[in-house]
Amino acid sequence: MAQAPAAATSGATLGFEPGAALEAQALVRRFGATQALDGLSFTVGRGQLFGLVGADGAGKTTAIRALAGLISLDSGRALVLGRDPAQGRAAVRESLGLMPQQASLYPDLSVGENLRFFARLYCLPRALFHERSSRLLEITRLGPFLDRRADALSGGMYKKLALACALLHRPEVLLLDEPTNGVDPVSRRELWALLHELVHDGMTVLLSTPYMDEAERCHRVGFIHHGRLLLAGEPRALLAGLDDETYEVEGGEREQVDERLANLAEVHAASPAGSTLRIAVARGSGGTVGAALKPLAASLRPVAPNFEDLFLARVRQEAA
Amino acid sequence: MTRPMRFLIRVGAMASKEVMHIRRDPRTLYMALAMPVVMLLIFGFGVSFDMDRIPLVVLDGDRSVASRSLVRAVSAGHEFVIAADSDEATALRMIRRGQALAGLAIPAGYQRELAAGRDGEIQLIVDGADGVVANQILSKIDGLVRAESLRRIDLAAEPPLQVKVFTLFNPEARSALLMVPGLAVYLLAIAAVLLTALTVSGEWERGSMEQLFASPVGRLEIVLGKLLPYLGLGMLQLLLVVAVGAMIFDVPIRGSATLLFLAGFLFLIGMLGQGLFISVVARNQLVATQAGALSSLLPSLLLSGMLVPIENMPRILQVLSSVVPARYFVHAMRGIMLKGSGLSILWGDLVALAIFALAIIALATARFRRRLA
Amino acid sequence: MSEPSIEAVHLSRRFGSFLAVDDVSFSVARGEIFGYLGANGAGKSTTIRMLCGLLAPTAGEARVAGFDVKTAPEAVKASIGYMSQKFSLYLDLPVCDNIDFFGGAYGLSGPDFAARADEVLRLCDLENEHDAITGSLPGGVRQRLALGCAILHRPAVLFLDEPTAGVDPVSRRLFWRFIRRLARDGTTIFVTTHYLDEAEYCGRIGLMVDGRLVALDTPSALKRRYVPGRVLSVHGRNLAPAAVSLRSRPGIITVEPFGAGLHLQVAAEDWNADSVAQALASAGAQAVEVESGEPTLEDVFLAVVARPREVHAP
Repeated sequence: MAQAPAAATSGATLGFEPGAALEAQALVRRFGATQALDGLSFTVGRGQLFGLVGADGAGKTTAIRALAGLISLDSGRALVLGRDPAQGRAAVRESLGLMPQQASLYPDLSVGENLRFFARLYCLPRALFHERSSRLLEITRLGPFLDRRADALSGGMYKKLALACALLHRPEVLLLDEPTNGVDPVSRRELWALLHELVHDGMTVLLSTPYMDEAERCHRVGFIHHGRLLLAGEPRALLAGLDDETYEVEGGEREQVDERLANLAEVHAASPAGSTLRIAVARGSGGTVGAALKPLAASLRPVAPNFEDLFLARVRQEAA
Repeated sequence: MTRPMRFLIRVGAMASKEVMHIRRDPRTLYMALAMPVVMLLIFGFGVSFDMDRIPLVVLDGDRSVASRSLVRAVSAGHEFVIAADSDEATALRMIRRGQALAGLAIPAGYQRELAAGRDGEIQLIVDGADGVVANQILSKIDGLVRAESLRRIDLAAEPPLQVKVFTLFNPEARSALLMVPGLAVYLLAIAAVLLTALTVSGEWERGSMEQLFASPVGRLEIVLGKLLPYLGLGMLQLLLVVAVGAMIFDVPIRGSATLLFLAGFLFLIGMLGQGLFISVVARNQLVATQAGALSSLLPSLLLSGMLVPIENMPRILQVLSSVVPARYFVHAMRGIMLKGSGLSILWGDLVALAIFALAIIALATARFRRRLA
Repeated sequence: MSEPSIEAVHLSRRFGSFLAVDDVSFSVARGEIFGYLGANGAGKSTTIRMLCGLLAPTAGEARVAGFDVKTAPEAVKASIGYMSQKFSLYLDLPVCDNIDFFGGAYGLSGPDFAARADEVLRLCDLENEHDAITGSLPGGVRQRLALGCAILHRPAVLFLDEPTAGVDPVSRRLFWRFIRRLARDGTTIFVTTHYLDEAEYCGRIGLMVDGRLVALDTPSALKRRYVPGRVLSVHGRNLAPAAVSLRSRPGIITVEPFGAGLHLQVAAEDWNADSVAQALASAGAQAVEVESGEPTLEDVFLAVVARPREVHAP
């Protein structure tokens, strides 16, 4: 299952897939010398939580901006609920919510004033605004800071406000660009809980993240690398499809172990993890490697593979 | 909810947000309200073409009763002060040094000529380096001498030809009356363009434009929403400037105040629109400020007829000035304030201002790209 | 060398009536890779500023690289290197110029420095990028350069602020290889991060909550202590109501939503994967799959930090 993104889209069809909330169809975009998007394709069904995972510069922000209709594409098409969000009078923008990566609110306006502005921008009736904003303020715990200027909020609180502003009009599709970047683990878990609640109520959510470990929290995940999808699918299925076995090496003298492992063809990757060493070996060769390490007083302990292992294996495959 | 209602709500949202920004940024308010008034005061008092106590060198070659009477006549008032009574060499030296601005030379035989019923010629030497000053001196001396010569003649006998100069609208030739309307236009133009030039480019820089474009708000809604608060501010500026002109410089409003504010309204839309256009095209505040300052300062100063009459300009500049809104507003301001001109005379100016206003708003909206890149 | 590289003794910092850092004590040995975690506003940045000699403590003392932060802050600054996520490299300059600039900032020059610069480029695997324009390099490579610039003056202690967030996994592994080499050669590494995968690379971890240091140990010891039960991960449908009913059962330590499923901590003697699956199914959940999981630092973090909190600190 760890293969090209064919599983994620209906291939070359340029039509609108019924039921798809978001579609990226072979997006291509170049900025000067950088190929930001290089044929990116994927589909997100309604009510799904899709994660776009990748390093800085892989094309996450560009992809999200393309889906929001904010940048022009060299070729390919981005569709939200079957329609092009970049068109001048696009009504589909009423159903779209965006939380950009960079600061996008008004620093000299207070929390309340920012919310009020976005509510009016979406023509929200007053009563509905009060009801929704109270709920959102409660969830984000920003209630006590209603009169505080946005530029006086801490980083995490600012992001919560940006999210609240994006949710006021109850969009059908929500795009989040690195919402958890720099956010502490507690707030991050709260955010994920909130997102899952929203998805449970029918919202489609696409978010981008540089954190590999967050892939597991999505319904479906796409690993983006150099503007293309390296891998896409359900997280557990992807992990199950990993060919390598993963172990932690315990004991032994580090230098010797490193050297011995470097000489074994079965060992595909070895990297430090805390005070131990984490290795990925060809399937079925755990015994061989274990035996090779025994004389060095080192042993192998099997560990579950993670997404970093998956990513690295795929990158290795591509290079080969 | 209908489309037009949504349009209005969104424009209202953008406008009230802009009002909040303005209130929280004291610099904007200062620039909008205090600066034009301060500048008007400085220019109005400091730049005056009315001259007083001009230093004059007298070269009295006649030393007669008649010549001394002439010198007394010239120096009696406050306009001239006798710096020296000397010879030509000294006179020239003093003028060169700036100790005197003119020299009055009365030749020997002046009284004899006059007594014989012939013309008495006198010579005026003027420092021509400053044309404005030279002209003023010329006309003042001319007037004084003429008055003196009338006095000498038997007043019962009327001179055969007379030119009675009747200066309409500005009998005292006060330069304030000339300056203030033009200055007001100039200052309003700069302030208006700069105010709006910063606003859209500021949003680009801050990153909030991304959020706006992802929402259903349209470009026209953004442009109008940003325009309205500054329009209100601009009208307030106009009021202040006219009030200062009237109260401190005694510049009257002889015509209809309503017409004045209508012309001002149209003019401001055009200037604010110009700033918005710059703002939309230049995505950062630094470029926007510079472009805004240049594009408002130069045309308003040089091509509006404020400083130099349009009729005196070379043909190409005259053509150019026809697309400068300041030209029409200067004309209208002077017309309404000094001449009491009405709609029948100024309708052309109003139409021109309205056309520019519509065109620039349309241009700003069209040029406003919804894409970040 | 017995003297610790970093030592904090009853370190406190007060801002007006607000106690940002409350009686923090710890010591880091030379060559150790030490992680420092905490929620925003917990006092982490304040502590680090004190350790870097940027802020004086209001009580207690701290010694870094042998210098007292209160009496010799300049000596402290000269002995430490600092690398942050938003690295301050000049993107329009080539690599060699950035090296020269940062070297100059620390007062290094001359033939000794030239040799050191070459050495650092080799250490960080940047020899081929000597003349490349910094902005044109991929993120992972730039980050190695930032590291290189931070170690030019051979600091005894290196502070890393979320160094590998947003970097691709290949570069991250390379980066940590360099860090370990530095540590092996005697440089003390002090890492702060929100990225818990990164925290796993540390030898020992300290956790701050509301100004106090509440936990300090190796990752595995922390996991054993704070996540004592069996960790299970659950997938299925209609889990939410079933989870609610499970929460109150004895032996169930925590039930947290995780992704589309649940993460559970259960007392190992009372529950196992099968019994949990059965309990959920009988409470209405469908297609239940329960797997054994491993405790993560996030579980530790949440156990230590989250549960007692009701009010979010700004």
